[in-house]
Amino acid sequence: MISSPAILVDTTRCTGCEECVLACKEENHLGADRLRAGQEAVDGLSSTRFTTILREPDDHFVKQQCRHCLDPACVSACLVGAMQKTPEGPVIYDSELCMGCRYCLVACPYGIPRYEWDASVPYVRKCNLCYPRLQEGKQPACVEACPHEALLFGSRDDLLAEAHRRIRADKERYVPHVYGEKEVGGTSVLYLAGISLGFLGWSGHLGQQPLPPLSWASLKKVPPVILGMGTLMGGIHWVIRRRMQLAARAAEEVEQGGGDHE
Amino acid sequence: MSDRLTNLKTVLWTLVGILGAVTVVRFTRGLGAVTNLSDAAPWGLWIGFDVMSGVALAAGGFVLAATVYIFGLERYRPFVRPAILTAWLGYAAVAVGLLYDLGLPWRIWHPLVHWQHHSVLFEVAACVMLYLTVLTLEFAPAVLEHPLFSARPFRAALRILKKVTIPLVITGIVLSTLHQSSLGSLFLITPYRLHPLWYSHIIYVLFFVSAVGLGLMMVVLESLFAAYFLDHEVHTRELAGLGKAAAVVLWIYVALRVGDLALRGVLGSAVDGSWHGALFVGELGLSAVIPATLLLSRRVRESRVGMGVAAAFTVTGMVFYRLDVSILSFARPQGFGYHPSWEEFAVSAGIVAAFMLIFIFFVERFRVYDDVAARPRAEARPSYDPSTTHRLQPSVLATPGRFTAAALAAGMVAFLFLPVRGTEDVPTPAHPARSVEGIRVDRGAGRVHALTFAAAGAEKVLRSGDVRVTVGDGRMWPPGDTTISRLLLMIDGNRNGNLVLFDHEAHQERLGGDSSCVTCHHLSMPLDRNSSCAACHRDMYDSTQVFDHDVHVAALDGDDPNSGCAECHRDGAAVKSLETATACTSCHRDPVASDPVISAPQDRWRPAEGYTEAMHGLCVECHKREVQRHPDEVPSTLAECRTCHDPDRRSQLRLLEPSRTDPLPKRVAAGAASGGEEGP
Repeated sequence: MISSPAILVDTTRCTGCEECVLACKEENHLGADRLRAGQEAVDGLSSTRFTTILREPDDHFVKQQCRHCLDPACVSACLVGAMQKTPEGPVIYDSELCMGCRYCLVACPYGIPRYEWDASVPYVRKCNLCYPRLQEGKQPACVEACPHEALLFGSRDDLLAEAHRRIRADKERYVPHVYGEKEVGGTSVLYLAGISLGFLGWSGHLGQQPLPPLSWASLKKVPPVILGMGTLMGGIHWVIRRRMQLAARAAEEVEQGGGDHE
Repeated sequence: MSDRLTNLKTVLWTLVGILGAVTVVRFTRGLGAVTNLSDAAPWGLWIGFDVMSGVALAAGGFVLAATVYIFGLERYRPFVRPAILTAWLGYAAVAVGLLYDLGLPWRIWHPLVHWQHHSVLFEVAACVMLYLTVLTLEFAPAVLEHPLFSARPFRAALRILKKVTIPLVITGIVLSTLHQSSLGSLFLITPYRLHPLWYSHIIYVLFFVSAVGLGLMMVVLESLFAAYFLDHEVHTRELAGLGKAAAVVLWIYVALRVGDLALRGVLGSAVDGSWHGALFVGELGLSAVIPATLLLSRRVRESRVGMGVAAAFTVTGMVFYRLDVSILSFARPQGFGYHPSWEEFAVSAGIVAAFMLIFIFFVERFRVYDDVAARPRAEARPSYDPSTTHRLQPSVLATPGRFTAAALAAGMVAFLFLPVRGTEDVPTPAHPARSVEGIRVDRGAGRVHALTFAAAGAEKVLRSGDVRVTVGDGRMWPPGDTTISRLLLMIDGNRNGNLVLFDHEAHQERLGGDSSCVTCHHLSMPLDRNSSCAACHRDMYDSTQVFDHDVHVAALDGDDPNSGCAECHRDGAAVKSLETATACTSCHRDPVASDPVISAPQDRWRPAEGYTEAMHGLCVECHKREVQRHPDEVPSTLAECRTCHDPDRRSQLRLLEPSRTDPLPKRVAAGAASGGEEGP
């Protein structure tokens, strides 16, 4: 498998034909879209739609899918290791480990993972960058299906170079920003576009810092808290008990002394 | 047993009955069948209330244990056991609540085996499991003291437990410190989703301090509950002491919360009148400012009502703090709200009711409150009395019978109301071609004058540059023309923003209705009702992949058979295949930008060389035929380049600037089917 596999999405070349969606559904055996009662229409992803084409105003077609972050929040959030960052790069999900807490859905800065709400044995569903296909040396199904070369598959460094080359070559066509190059520490799905793609994240301006260190800031305090709190409580208990014992002994002595005087 | 208690128990059993009904559906039909949870709101009431608030409400256990065992404030000893019992049951309720909320509850033990030190939720899970164990051991003496457990092994266990009380208490305090704060740390990883009024880098400190204040007030509330329902005698002086401590902690909490906001510079958004601002002000007021102010007064601290009100404020407010963080201020995609379903409320209420019943059970049977335990229970007393022997049912069964009936009836009624929510198959949505409401101007006899956008009252300059029409109100110039409203397709095959307005309906009418689709749409594969372009044309910007070998042989051989093979199959030794042949683009260099081939060869059908040729074959050839056959009906210029193209730049489609108010793409070419030279 190539090192750090990635996809470059050139949204200016996408015509919204959704061949990638169909290929993805075929590859992952997803079948027809299923809607929950009360939900209006298929928009964005679902447990039967790992990738989709968002239709933005002015006919900008933006492929939505798991970004396979370099330092993924979902992986750091998972308490049983069901979300895994493979050594090669794709973020995959092990349904055998999952206990269904859905913290990954909460943590994802792009709101990507989906849940099988209507199954009595539900799992998290999301794109795995066709990890099994990559291991066979193939491209992801969506990339292979794209008829317009809007999707490009390769190693992340090559794609970044290509993306910057395209921006330099056609300044009118692109905004000068490769979305995903630095966002939340970088993602494996990179975007070129003629518009700002800020709407893809929960915030229009996702910082460059990866998210897991934010949790770590609190987690790294666990050993000091155990030691500090344990010592503090033990110490206070010892001091107070000692003082109470001394006070009791003093009272006893006073009592005895008082008895002598009487 | 007092009537109050009986009535309370009846209400609680009713709630438990409803819980039972919802439980059946929850575990047979899945989360979606009973909750309003969705991908937009993956965590709802069961996490926000049952887990986040449940853990916080059970904080009294470790706070009171520390007060008495560590700080040696012996006068609060009567409060310890009820606090430990509440904490123990509270954590058990959290675990039960989790069983409802987890998608795969039978895997609740997975964190025990699959350690993930980088996950805050793992830390919470580990601490909660350990602390539940600690609490069990801390409360066990109350049960083991019962005469029922007078056997020697029980006595030995009791002695050991009493010896390890202090280590247990310290372990409990450490674990509580860790997970009370970590419940806040859970949201450190969502800096972009949690509203700035709640997202804080010291959220774990805030959660811990607020849990201590809340724990103290919960102990107060429990005492008052026991006083009201179980005739427990309240120690007013100690209650006041708890109130005083709570006031101090709550003021510290307010200072931390407000100070943090001020340091981060978002204090302004608390008072900007927004929904989030109001939520924040209400929550902080309810949870801390109001009760802490009330508790400053000695009269309030020493009155049962005063303490009850202050405690109710704090408890409600702190629950709201947890709900705000996990639900109310948590960002969701636009248009996706979350409000808990009645089943979600029923489960939360039912679990609380069930554990309140267990609390009462322990209080009535074991030494939790000394004064309550000393009293014999009314319903346990043998009620046999010769004067009442005519009763068919002994009263000892009458009250439990009433509870059973309440639970069963409530469960059955709830079952009837449980909706059957399900899913429906939805086909992959088809997105029709981009189109715009347009006007077609006819000159009579089917002669098209112009196509233009329809925007009420907007004045348009048509493509010839000198015809002005006002569309939308029916007025038209020159007089005598008729206008027809049409949905015009916007075709931009090159994806460069240059669109052609295309009157699909007119073409369909002229070519013969539904059966004429294939005239243009040659794309359907055999036996296929709707195959997309890409099924054959894998890249519209490249030479077509529908390769016609014969055409190439004929063109390259000329008169000499087999002389052209080497043009493509240069390596004579290699197997002649598509893979070893020269790339198409080495001859067909740029199928998009090269001069358009206006005249497609008429002698035989062949696949178009590229996108441009395909489009010209489709449009221009047909337009030519139309001009020849129906000179009276169509403009004579219909087949000329400038019908669609800018005369100066033949590779570009004609442009028309829509007015600024139009919600349309920036550049649009007009008039694929128009004859613009017919202006005045």
